Amino acid sequence: MQLFLEQLLNGIAMGSIYALVTLGLALVYGVMRILHVAHAAVYTIGAYAGLYLFGATGSLAVAFLGSMAICAAVGVIIERFLYFPLLKYPPFVPLIGSIAVLLSIEEAARLVAGPYILTFPAKLPFPDVYVGGIQISSGLLAIYVITAAVLLVLWYITTRTELGLAMRAASQDAVIAGTMGINSHAIITITFVIGSATAAIAGILVGIYYNQVYPTMGTVPAYKTLALIVVGGLGSVPGAVIASLALGMAETLLIGYANIPLPRDALAFIAMIGVLMWRSEGLLGSSR
Amino acid sequence: MLLEVRDLHISYGDIQAVCGVGFHLEEGELVSIIGANGAGKTSILQSIMGIVSTKKGSVIFKGREISGLASHERARIGIRMVPERSRVFPRLTVYENLLAGAYGLRKKIDVEKRTEWLYSVFPVLKERSSQLGHTLSGGEQQQLAIARALISEPELLLVDEVSMGLMPKLVDEVFEVLRQLNKEQGLSILLVEQNVVASLAISTRGYVLETGTCAIQGDAAELADNPRVKEVYLGH
Repeated sequence: MQLFLEQLLNGIAMGSIYALVTLGLALVYGVMRILHVAHAAVYTIGAYAGLYLFGATGSLAVAFLGSMAICAAVGVIIERFLYFPLLKYPPFVPLIGSIAVLLSIEEAARLVAGPYILTFPAKLPFPDVYVGGIQISSGLLAIYVITAAVLLVLWYITTRTELGLAMRAASQDAVIAGTMGINSHAIITITFVIGSATAAIAGILVGIYYNQVYPTMGTVPAYKTLALIVVGGLGSVPGAVIASLALGMAETLLIGYANIPLPRDALAFIAMIGVLMWRSEGLLGSSR
Repeated sequence: MLLEVRDLHISYGDIQAVCGVGFHLEEGELVSIIGANGAGKTSILQSIMGIVSTKKGSVIFKGREISGLASHERARIGIRMVPERSRVFPRLTVYENLLAGAYGLRKKIDVEKRTEWLYSVFPVLKERSSQLGHTLSGGEQQQLAIARALISEPELLLVDEVSMGLMPKLVDEVFEVLRQLNKEQGLSILLVEQNVVASLAISTRGYVLETGTCAIQGDAAELADNPRVKEVYLGH
């Protein structure tokens, strides 16, 4: 039982990290209807930026805030100079552009930082906690608390503020939102800022938790998060979060605990195929 | 003069939708643009709102050339549109749809007071205030689209084919609301319609559009008596 609970806690942590990366992708798809594969490259940049800023200053706060700012800027550059000029073309064109950016950033990281795995020797300021004889390590606790805080802030922005209302309106009908005085392009830019800053947080958390930062760390999340936004329902942030948490737990419990002989990374795609056959609009997606 | 459109040309690729249309609307007027399907009525309205770009011509609102402004900038200077087929935000509640209509105006207008007034004009919206937009019937969505445009206290309301898809009783109700808004509140309205009888009945003046050009214009009563209008649009 103890092993099961420990694996469950690991699964929730894994799912939390998936959620942090996936929700940026879901937000961007919601307002632009673009599969922003390059989001995973922004996550990689976030990890490297956090590592270098932490190395230079020794401050995790500077690492987080600086990395979030850098990733937000990268996200806006991708939106302005890649996606915006390509919006008039069919959706596969910006998708190809996005894949090109992902590969370019990975190679740039390899050239600049080297092809090695760098360590991220930081300790997040959270204690080890014991609940009913089960240890929740400081790393796990940090992932839970930071993910919960990010989700809470995002929930507040999207459901309780005028900006959030504008984001939801623009994601449903950008043209009509424009006739209400909502600047849809500005909303798209803000969405990229939020999504990219969240990816930076995920990059740093993964870097610290696994003590690894490397050029291709975004490759697996790039395709796995695509499957997750389909499972959750394209453009649905709550759906993406639920799908992410479910996948994190399924990977840990089915593969790690129950030893089902499947490759771990295949589960996201099995889930995607299953959801597409059962409910093509995804868990919380809308067919409208 | 509140709105003046001069020598408007709109094309979609090689297809010329509107060529050289010009008209005006005085403050407090309700003007109809009538015409058959494909005559270019919706294109004109969308170009005034900034949704489609014009190839040539100018749109002047309160003496200011606004052709270069984006749609959201035109909305902010007092132009609002009730789009064809209502196009409410399907996954926002009725109340949130109204709030979206008041975006950026919460310091300028009393949104709650305005919402209560809109609920008194369209009581069904109050009953449905927490329902999602897509769960409303066609008529209710049309009322919501009008209310969403009105919440911002616009100076000019553009109304696109408001009668489309509505049952006759609802058409009468919606036109009565537009007439009251114009007569009692002095709201300037530009109405684009295929329902010639209903639209001319509440209008001050009208323009008849045929294949992208303005064929006939005049007072609403004169137009209703015009032999060509009678023959083509009224069937007698």
